[in-house]
Order: sequence, then C-alpha cells, then structure tokens
Amino acid sequence: MKSIPRLVAAMALLAALAAPGAPAQNFDVKTHTLKNGMKILVQEDHSIPNVALYIFYRIGSRNERPGTTGLSHFFEHMMFNGAKKYGPHEFDRVMEAGGGSNNAYTSNDVTVYQDWFPRTQMEQIFDLEADRIRDLAFDPKMIESERGVVASERRLSVEGDNAGLLSEQLWATAFTAHPYQWPVVGWMVDIENWKMGDLRHHFEMGYSPSNATMVVSGDVTADEVVKLAEKYLEPIVSHDPPPKVTTAEPEQLGERRVVVRKFAQLPMVMMGYHVPQTDSGDFYARQVLQTILFTGESSRMYQRLVDKDQLALSIDGSSPFAFDPTLFEIDAQPKANVDPAAVEKAVYEELEKVSAQSVTDQELEKAKNILLARFYRQMKTISGKANTLGTYEVFFGDYHKLFDAAEQYNKVTKEDVQRVAKQYFTAKNRSVATLVPEPEEEKK
Amino acid sequence: MTRAKGLMRHRLLCFALLTVVSLLAVPASAQTAAGPGLKLPSYKRITLKNGLTVLLMEQHEVPIVSFSFMVKTGAIADPEGKDGLASLTAGLLRKGTKTRSADQVAADLDFIGGQFDADASADYTSGSAEFLKKDLNTGLDLLADVLLNPTFPEAEVTKMLAQRIDGIKADKDEARGVIGSYYQSYLYGKHPYGRPTDGDETSLTHIQRADAVKFFETYYAPGNAILAVAGDFSTPEMERLLTQRFGAWKERPVPAASLPAPASFHGKKLLLVDKPDSTQTFFQIGNVGITRNNPDRVQIEVVNTLFGGRFTSMLNTELRINSGLTYGARSSFDRRRVPGPFAIFSFTKNKTTEQALDMTLDVLHRLHEKGFTAEELKSAKEYIKGQFPPRIETSDQLARLMATLAFYGLDQTEIDGYYARIDVMTLADSKRIIEQYFPADNLVFVLIGKAGEIQGVVKKYAPKMDTKSITEPTF
Repeated sequence: MKSIPRLVAAMALLAALAAPGAPAQNFDVKTHTLKNGMKILVQEDHSIPNVALYIFYRIGSRNERPGTTGLSHFFEHMMFNGAKKYGPHEFDRVMEAGGGSNNAYTSNDVTVYQDWFPRTQMEQIFDLEADRIRDLAFDPKMIESERGVVASERRLSVEGDNAGLLSEQLWATAFTAHPYQWPVVGWMVDIENWKMGDLRHHFEMGYSPSNATMVVSGDVTADEVVKLAEKYLEPIVSHDPPPKVTTAEPEQLGERRVVVRKFAQLPMVMMGYHVPQTDSGDFYARQVLQTILFTGESSRMYQRLVDKDQLALSIDGSSPFAFDPTLFEIDAQPKANVDPAAVEKAVYEELEKVSAQSVTDQELEKAKNILLARFYRQMKTISGKANTLGTYEVFFGDYHKLFDAAEQYNKVTKEDVQRVAKQYFTAKNRSVATLVPEPEEEKK
Repeated sequence: MTRAKGLMRHRLLCFALLTVVSLLAVPASAQTAAGPGLKLPSYKRITLKNGLTVLLMEQHEVPIVSFSFMVKTGAIADPEGKDGLASLTAGLLRKGTKTRSADQVAADLDFIGGQFDADASADYTSGSAEFLKKDLNTGLDLLADVLLNPTFPEAEVTKMLAQRIDGIKADKDEARGVIGSYYQSYLYGKHPYGRPTDGDETSLTHIQRADAVKFFETYYAPGNAILAVAGDFSTPEMERLLTQRFGAWKERPVPAASLPAPASFHGKKLLLVDKPDSTQTFFQIGNVGITRNNPDRVQIEVVNTLFGGRFTSMLNTELRINSGLTYGARSSFDRRRVPGPFAIFSFTKNKTTEQALDMTLDVLHRLHEKGFTAEELKSAKEYIKGQFPPRIETSDQLARLMATLAFYGLDQTEIDGYYARIDVMTLADSKRIIEQYFPADNLVFVLIGKAGEIQGVVKKYAPKMDTKSITEPTF
C-alpha cells in the first residue's frame, strides 16, 4: 500500500521545480467544471499510449453510522456489479476486452475509482462510468455474492494479518465519538447485516456528480476529455452532498491502552497520537518531523530501535489524509523475546528528545532532499500523477496549493519541527495497542 | 509493516508470492507510438575490458537516473544447509565498506534522497539504485563503493542474521506472505528451487561472516555482472563515469552454478501447514512450469491471462464473482533458468475449504475440456497489449528490463516482436498450449489453515497428506 502522507509531501515540492535554477517540469493542468458541478482535471502526458482516469468521491467510512459500518467500501465493490446498459459482469468484461483494467479504494474520507486503459478505449470508458454513476442496479444475487467477497477481504486483511487487527483496535480505542473509530472494511457483523435499502441510501447520499472530481492523466487532450464528459456525464443530475459530519472527537485527557491476545510468534505494538486534519497549518512541519524520525536507515527511530538497541525489526510512522482530525500512527515490530514495553520506552525517549532539543540543520536539509526525490518518483507515472493531483485537489480543496507547498516547506524551521513534536507527542494524547502472543488458540 | 488505515483495494492486483508472468516484452516508452511496430527505446550495450556488461538507455522525462545491477549467481549457489546466504550477502553490501560504516552509508544515501536495494532470487542476485540527476556523482560513488568494497563487519552480520531469523517468524504470522515458500519447498524437494531463497530459521543459524565473504569473493566479479542504467544522462558521459568507477574492478573466473532441470511431479500430494488461528484456508496448487525462454512463452501468457491472470479470468469468475467464496483467485508461471513453479492461488473461509478446492479443480478440468472461444482469445490479446505500456513507463522499469533480458541472453527483439507474436496466436495454438503446459491430473497441493477444522476434508485430494506446524523452523 502506498503511504499517502508521503505522497502529498512529495507533491508539495513541485513548486521547487519552478524556482530559479531548478529544472522546469512540464506539469500543465487544465480544469473544467461541468454544469452539474463535477470538476475535471486533465494533465496531458504523451509518453505512453495509455490513460489513467481517476474519479474521487467525497464519501467514505466517516459518513457511515453504527450498524452499517463498512458500507462505503461495500458500495465500492457494488459499483462493479452492473448498471442499466452494462449488466452484471459487463463492466469488467467490456473494459478488459478493450485492453483496460480497473481498481478502486476506499478510505475513511473518500472512495476512488481507477481506470487504466489504452487511449483507443477512451469513449468506451466514459460510457461505462456514466452508466454506473447514473443507473447503478442493485441485483440481490450480486449483493449476496459480494457480501462473501468482502467478508473474505476482511478475514484476509484483519483476521489474517496481525498489523491490520491491531491497527483496527488502536483506532477504536483512540476515537470514542468520531466515526474514525470504526474500520473502513467494517465490523464483520455489519458486513453480514446490511440491507439493500442501506445501499440505495448510500448511493443517493454520496454519488452525486457534484460530489466527485475526475482526474485524467496520459495520452489525451483536455478538449477531447471535456467533450466526452459533456456528452456522457454532464446530463447526469446532481443533488445535495452528504450531510456534514458534525461529530468532533473530544480532546483526549489521558493515555489509553488496549491489549490483543492471540496466537502469534511475535508481539507487535502500535501507538497513536491525535493530530489535526490534512488541510491544517502544521501539515508541512509534521511531514518534515515524520521524515526525520522515520524515513531511511539513517532516521532517528531506525537508528535507535532497529540498529543500535536492536529491539525491533521495523518501525514506521505516518498519518493518513483526512478531512477531520486524525491519528499519527507509529507501528513497531519487536524482535522475538523483546518486551513490547521496552520498544515503547525507546520510542518515547526519542519523541522526548525531538521535543526537548531542536533537530540539526543537516537533518532538516536531508528531510527536504528526501521529499524532493519522492516527488519526482511519484511523478514518474501517469497513474501517480492522476492520484496525486486528485488527492491534493480533494484534501486541500484546490490542486493549486501544490504550487505553494514548496514555499511552505522552505518556511519550516527547526523550531517548527520541535514545536509540533512537543504539541502532539504527549503521553496524555497517546493510545497504545499491544499484541501479546499466545502459544495456541484456546481449545473450544 | 505500517499500513495506512483504510485503503481497501477492490481487487487483488498482484501477489508478492506469485512472481508475475510477463516481464516478457516491452512496447515502447516515451518516444514510441503504440501498434504492432512497437519498439523498445534504443540502448547501448558495451562490455568493459574487465568483462562487465553495461547497458545504457537515455530517458529525459524526469531528472532521475535509475540503476539496475545483477550478479549472475543467486540462491541456487547457497551451500548445503546455508540457505539464505546469497540473499544475506546482498543485504550486507550496504552495511559497511572500506571507507564507510553502515551508518555512513545510510546517512550519505538518505541525505541525497537516494535509494539502494539488493537481494537474491533463485537464479540471480540483483539490486537497484536511484538518484536525482543533480546528485549523480555522489550517488555513483556510493553505488560503486557498496558493490566493490563491502567489508561485512562481524557485528553487522550478527545483527542481520538475528533480524532475518525473527523476520521469518513474523512473516509466518501472515499466511499469505509465506505460502509461496512452503509451496516451492514441497514442489521441488531437493532440487535447488526447493530451498527458501531467504533461508529459514534453521539454515540462517548455520551462516557465519566467512560464508558471506566467500560468496562475495567467489561470485561478485565483473565478468559475472550486469549494470544497466536508464534515465536523464548522456550516454558518452555515463560511459566515462562508469568506466572510472568500475573499470578497475578486477577480473576473475567464476565457477558456474550447476542447475539440473527439475522433474515434474507425477501423481498427487498434499501438504497441510497448521496455523491454529487461521479463519481462512490459503492454498496453492500446481506443478513445475516453464523456463524464462520457453519458445511458447507469449502464447502461455495469453492462455494464463484467460485462466487466472486477470479479474475476469476463469478462476476469479468462479471463485469470486459468481460464488463469493474468496477475495481473489489467480494463477501464474514464475519463469526461470530451468522450469519454475506454476501455481493457482486462492483462499476461503475454513467452512468452504472443500467447496473452493473442488471448484478450483473443476475450473482446471474445464480449461482442458472446453478451452476458449475466439472472442475470449481476442479479449486476452487486447488486454495484454493494452496493459503493457505502463509496465515499461519508468526509468527503473526500463533499467530492470535491460538487465533481465541480458541475464537470460535475450535482446530488444524480445520486445520489438511482442505484439506481433500475440497477434498471430490461434485457437488451435491455445489448445496445444493448454495440453502441453497446464497440469491436469498431476498436482501438488499446499494449504495453510486451521488443521483442526479442515484436515478431515482436505485429505481426499491426494493419496498422501503431509502435515507440519507453522511454528516449525523450516518451510
């Protein structure tokens, strides 16, 4: 899985390229808004005869309610299961027969549909997308088989994956009021129980064209994209966006801990600290801090926990893109026979150090270099460009902010880094989830 | 291990455990248009006086330079009982040189936002490095240093061995990540492809610093190596820079690692690995497959696309789309120097283990009985051609492709004739391919799951069922 916060950080450095002395980067984005409110971004790139088309819907698990958790993700699956012109199985059959492929992902905040295809398939893709946005069908038989698929996905990514299981518990512990407390995939009992009516309601709530942004990168021209969009998508009528999520997570007033005991060979520990949403002032300082702490074998955490003290096999930290205040999650895989408490202690000492003393000039410069290189890597593919542009547009409200970002990074000082470390990495603001191995599952 | 909360993929696009079929051919990158006349962008091949093969392809889209290197000896040369040595040796390259400690290598690499990786597969050792154009000289110094001057400090060897042993235990906590290792071990037995390329909890305890030093001194020689570069540079300049850094690398003879052709398995056998917390049964089913240079490789890719290589494949249609038994079902050929593994892979909840396995065997049977329609064949051809360009889009992909082609004795004609070879394939060809390359009755099964719940139903698939616990320190 791609680490999204890194992506944003990298993108932010785009502006550096436009700075005096930096090489020019051909990154011309054209935009158009349809009469129904759907915004379109086009980035022409003729390096390969292919196109990446992404549609971002501003709806995710934060728009759900207890009892139907996971519905956004389930709905994402249902978007491939038949509409009016293209019935069950047809979306994939037609797309693959024309040389295209697709995927989709759901997060707490957004649902994103991805099509990758040869340019010769352009019009067909618009026809397929329009059909399912306008006339999605809800075939009871397809709902039941897809329910099994999603249950299998949950068994794969949560029950069969200790990191998935523990992360789920961490978020459920750190959030008591806000919808980020439940997993994107949903609780198993909800997967088993949602009804046709729930799906219909979700479609009506989230799938208005005005609630979507389309990003196209590849061997296209903006004119042809707009023409096709006007023909296929513009006639689709928009309606109100999803209701505003009004629940705010109250300030955490003390450390919270959760323990998972299950069969495993190695323990695991995760720590979560509440941090603001993506589009907030400290974003850039937090990205620099994260890079200094966690990126590369010269990073502070790797050096301390993996290399010097040899307490952990791996350690990483990041926070996801989010519309609402979210978590900065630190994941550590302790070595065998290492007490997770020892790992915790070392992590806290490093966090205290970075809060008490400023980082070095060299660390600050290194972080900026890493972020710059990462930006270029992300821009190597049409797919990377489509995803990055869309993410920026959706989470910052305007892809143009991309061009301010380098300046924002350059403004980050050692004092900023220290200030955000001190502000967020406190014991009071912390939740900790620990997986304690048990030799064998309890016999029934 | 970190995963961003929440990104759920709709489909299983690739399994790390099943090596992807087709690095087969490459249409074009930047400058070339699509169509049957696709050509790999031109590149220069030179051999330095010491025997080092150098491949250079300019790509000026992004100010990045990507390196791909190969040492033509891989895990198959691991000494008896020391599985994992080739991989460990590669991992230790960056852990100290004659002039830099491991910490210095990390600091120098990170400071320029560079990347470096190295590992061994069964057939070869390989690695990659990537630097911004503006840091090319610094990056090249670093790359040459870790490739030519590693010192394998005792403390670093000890540390990495301990990490790798624990790493395997951690991996075994997630069935999906390790089933391929169990499958290859059970399928190939004593053949070198049966050994775990990363070693196991036992073999790694038998490795010492001297082993890594010896492996390095024996096999890391210019005549046994390939260095491919793609990206934003000028060819004459890069030639000069590389000659400067690698020209003095001392030539020496390298022993050839012998690799007999493996025999396919006749009959049926089944291994059940007990993982007592498992709520799903993971399985791989198959037999010995094909070589990298199999003359029918393009046609095999087309057939496998329809059988288990894409979302609407026969396997995924039955096991996922129509029945909801699983999140995904696939098949793949891992093509190697001598025939590599062919495997069908899927998973399902404990209770539907028998149903899913029966269905898998039915689909395999149907492949042999019914084959495909003309429309299906056409669809697969379009799909492969339509999906290919993004696989050679970036400089790192192109560098890796050049190196891999050179390793297997292939050249750009592999790519330039790719679409034409797809286009000429007929239904009669597909029939022959199915008969010749897809197993029917001779099948090796490997399952990871909760033995207490599934052993009763799975033993019917083979006359002999072997069992082991996931906690046993082997694969």
